[in-house]
Amino acid sequence: MARIGVRGSAGGLQNEGLKELVYEHRKALLGCLSVTVFFVFWETFYEFVELNEMFMTKPSLIATGLMALIEDGQLINDIGVSAAPFFIGFLSAAIVGVVLGVVMGWRTRVGYALEPLMTALYASPLVAIAPLVIIFFGVGVSGKSILIFVLCVFPFMFNAYAGVTSVDALLVSVVRSLGGKEKDLYLKVIVPSVLPYLVAGARYAVGRALVGVIVGEFFAATAGIGYRIAWFSDMFEMSRMFVCILTMMVIAVVFTEGIRWAERSAFPWRDGE
Amino acid sequence: MDDSMEARASGIPVPGTSGLSHATDVITEETWWERHERMVLGSGFIVLFLLIWEVGPLIIPLSKGMQLFFATPSDIAAVMYAMVNGDDSMFLNGNVWDALAHSTNAFLLGLGLGVVVGLPLGVVLGRSEIINAMFDPFITAFNATPRLIFLPLVLVWFGIGLWSEVLIVFIGAVFPLLINTYAGVKNADRLLINVVRSFGASEWEINKLVVLPNSIPFIIAGLRLAIGRAILGVVVAEFFGGAEAGIGVMMVNAAGKYHVDVLFAGLIIFMVQVLILTSAVKVMELRLSRWRPEKVKTF
Repeated sequence: MARIGVRGSAGGLQNEGLKELVYEHRKALLGCLSVTVFFVFWETFYEFVELNEMFMTKPSLIATGLMALIEDGQLINDIGVSAAPFFIGFLSAAIVGVVLGVVMGWRTRVGYALEPLMTALYASPLVAIAPLVIIFFGVGVSGKSILIFVLCVFPFMFNAYAGVTSVDALLVSVVRSLGGKEKDLYLKVIVPSVLPYLVAGARYAVGRALVGVIVGEFFAATAGIGYRIAWFSDMFEMSRMFVCILTMMVIAVVFTEGIRWAERSAFPWRDGE
Repeated sequence: MDDSMEARASGIPVPGTSGLSHATDVITEETWWERHERMVLGSGFIVLFLLIWEVGPLIIPLSKGMQLFFATPSDIAAVMYAMVNGDDSMFLNGNVWDALAHSTNAFLLGLGLGVVVGLPLGVVLGRSEIINAMFDPFITAFNATPRLIFLPLVLVWFGIGLWSEVLIVFIGAVFPLLINTYAGVKNADRLLINVVRSFGASEWEINKLVVLPNSIPFIIAGLRLAIGRAILGVVVAEFFGGAEAGIGVMMVNAAGKYHVDVLFAGLIIFMVQVLILTSAVKVMELRLSRWRPEKVKTF
C-alpha cells in the first residue's frame, strides 16, 4: 500500500526505487530496528539508573567482555570443546535414526513393533537420563556424545519413518510401469519425498542437541560454553556470562534458521507447511 | 513457525496412500490377527524389551562394579512400590507425594502463565504485521536457543525457589503456544473476516467469531508441544538447583548416591506424566474439532 501515491517530482524514479526496496524488505528492516532500539534502550537505561554489576550488565560492558574473551582465545576454545560432542552425537544419531526409521517405514511389522516404545521414549523428557549417562560413561566427550545421541536419534527416526510412509505408491507404480529402474525409483520418487522430512528432523535434532550440550556441561565439565555460563554466573561476572549466552543464541539461530533456509530453497514445493 | 513434522511424526503415522486401493475395495472379513496385529506387535515388543533387560544380567553376569550401576525393571518396580507406600529414604524431606506435588505445581503455574501470555500475544502478532516484524527477531532467537542457558541468570536474579523454576517452565512453554497461535490466526480466512467486518463487527468480535475458532487446532497442537517443553523445564530446573524439592531433585540426589533404580523411577514418573497429558490433549483436540467439515492440517 505504501507503493501507491509515492510521487517524487525531481529524481522521482530513484526515490521510487528506494521506496520499493524499503517496502520489499520492510520486515527485515523493522526487525533490525527493534533489535537496535532494544540495545540502545538497554544502554541508556543504565545511564540514568545505577548499575549493580553483580546482577546486571549493559551492552557496552558485554562488548568489552567479548573483546577480552576473544583476545585470550577462551571463547573459541570453549566453542571447540562444546562442538566435538555435538557433532559426534548429532551425526551418529542421524545415521542410526535414519536407518531405523527407513526400516520401520519399509517393513510395516517392524514399524508396528517399534512404534509404541519409541513414541513413549520420544515424548518423555529424555534429558532426565543425563545423570545416568554421566554415571555410566563419565564426564568426557563420550558421555556428552551419548547424551546428545539419545536426544537426537528420535527426531531423525520418526521423520524418516513418516517420510517413507508418505511415499506415494501411485508414483512408484507409474515409474515402474514406464520402465523405470530401481535407480530411477530411488532418485526420482523416494529420495525427493523423504528428504524434506529428514531436513525437518535435522532442525528438531539441532535444538535437542544444543540442550544436550548444555545439560552435559552444566552437570560436569571443565570447559565448554555451557560450563562457562554456569561458571561466570557463580563468579557473578554478568558481562562475560552474557557474552556466552548471546554467543549460544547466535549459534542456535544460525543452525536452525540455516536449516530452515535450506529447506525453503531446496524444497520450495513444501513452502508454507 | 512450522512444527508440522514433529506433530505428524509424534502423532498417528501417516498412512501410505495407495493408488491401487480401488482394486481391493472388496469388503472382506478381517481376521482377529489383522485387527489386532498392530497392538499385539507393539505391546509385545515392549514386553520383550523389558524381559531382555530383566533376564540379560542373569545370563551374562555383571562385574561387581557394573552391578552398582545397574537396575533391572523389577528393581525399579520395587523402588516405586516402596515409594508409593511411604518409604521416604530417597528424599531429603517429605515423601513422593510432596515431591510430585511440588513438580506438578511448578509445571502448572509455568504452563498456565505460558497460556495467559502466549495466546493473546499470538493473536496480536497474527493480526498486526508491524508488531510481528518487530517481535520476530526476539521470538526466533529465544525459540531457537535452549531455554536452559537462562537458568544461571534466573537463579542470580530470583534465587533458588519455586518462582525460578516456574519462570524456566514458562520460557519453555510460551513459545510453542505463541508461534502456533500466530500460525492459526494467520491461517484465518480473509473472506470470513471481511464478511464479519462488513456486518459491523468490532475487532474483538472478529477475533471471537472467526479468528479464535479457526486457530483452535493450531493452539491445541501448540499446547501439546508446550507440555513437552514445560516438563523439560521442570526437569532441568530441578536438576540444576532451581528448586528445593521435586522429582528432579530426588533424581539428582539418587545419582549422587548411585541409586540407579531411584533414577529410573523418576524418569518413569516424568514419562507417565507426559504421556497422560499429551493423550488428554489429543482427546481434547478430537472433541474440539468435531464440527469441522474436513480435517484441517495442524501445525
